[in-house]
Amino acid sequence: MMLRVALMLAVIGMYSGALSAGETPAPENAYLYIGWPNDGEVIHGGRPFRVWFGLRNMGVAPKGVDAPNTGHHHLLIDTDLPPMDAEIPSDRQHLHFGAGQTETMLELPPGTHTLQLLMGDANHVPNNPPVYSKKITITVK
Amino acid sequence: MQIRALTIIAVLAACGAQPVSAKTPAPANAEVYIIWPTDGTVIRGGKLWVRMGLRNAGVAPKDVEMANVGHHHLLLDTDLPPLDEIIPSDRNHLHFGGGQTEARIEDLAPGKHTLQLLLGDHEHRPHDPPLYSKKVTITVAP
Repeated sequence: MMLRVALMLAVIGMYSGALSAGETPAPENAYLYIGWPNDGEVIHGGRPFRVWFGLRNMGVAPKGVDAPNTGHHHLLIDTDLPPMDAEIPSDRQHLHFGAGQTETMLELPPGTHTLQLLMGDANHVPNNPPVYSKKITITVK
Repeated sequence: MQIRALTIIAVLAACGAQPVSAKTPAPANAEVYIIWPTDGTVIRGGKLWVRMGLRNAGVAPKDVEMANVGHHHLLLDTDLPPLDEIIPSDRNHLHFGGGQTEARIEDLAPGKHTLQLLLGDHEHRPHDPPLYSKKVTITVAP
């Protein structure tokens, strides 16, 4: 009985894993990263700093543009990855760059913050497989 | 005879000037630049990723006709092409019509090389004003 439940849970786990991505394909070797700041960077506050969006083996297209192997950048601030099979939220912690921007200026209050990039397709849904960067932590002084 | 020759020249000049279509406007504050490599960088082995930077404008694949977007062209060991024509496509003019923002270069011979970026619109024509980066010189070490 216990074994059967464990097996069922495992199957459910696998199933939800397979579901947790959007429908727009992305290249298997697509690589998304934050070009700057680096993980652990200490930034002087009180003025905006630049964030570079790095993307390899995939292209950028504005929202609404359905082109193969493309997406647009979303910058996640102080939050974890959202569900991978739904439209990426649009709020202060999920910044959309639907005009095809590849960098931005950001100003954050003093303290420790996390930054992470996530690609979204023409409809702001993550690709399949989802393309996201490592989450980095920075300190604003 | 002389008049006829002049007339022919005038007609040729008019034909040459004819096929100029309106350029795609670009934001006045847009800026294209090479994030990496920086001027003077020494690369060992001749393989590198060129990181293409764009401010105050966006990237879109070729054929996408929208305001304030374009796609990158990397000029390798060459000067800027005519800015009122389609950007050539050859080994010295690499097109990134897939909306790429990084370019993998693998076959640079040892020696000095120049890199420069030029943004093109949906038809691969430079914008008005044209958006191009500073030209950087790198050295490939064997």
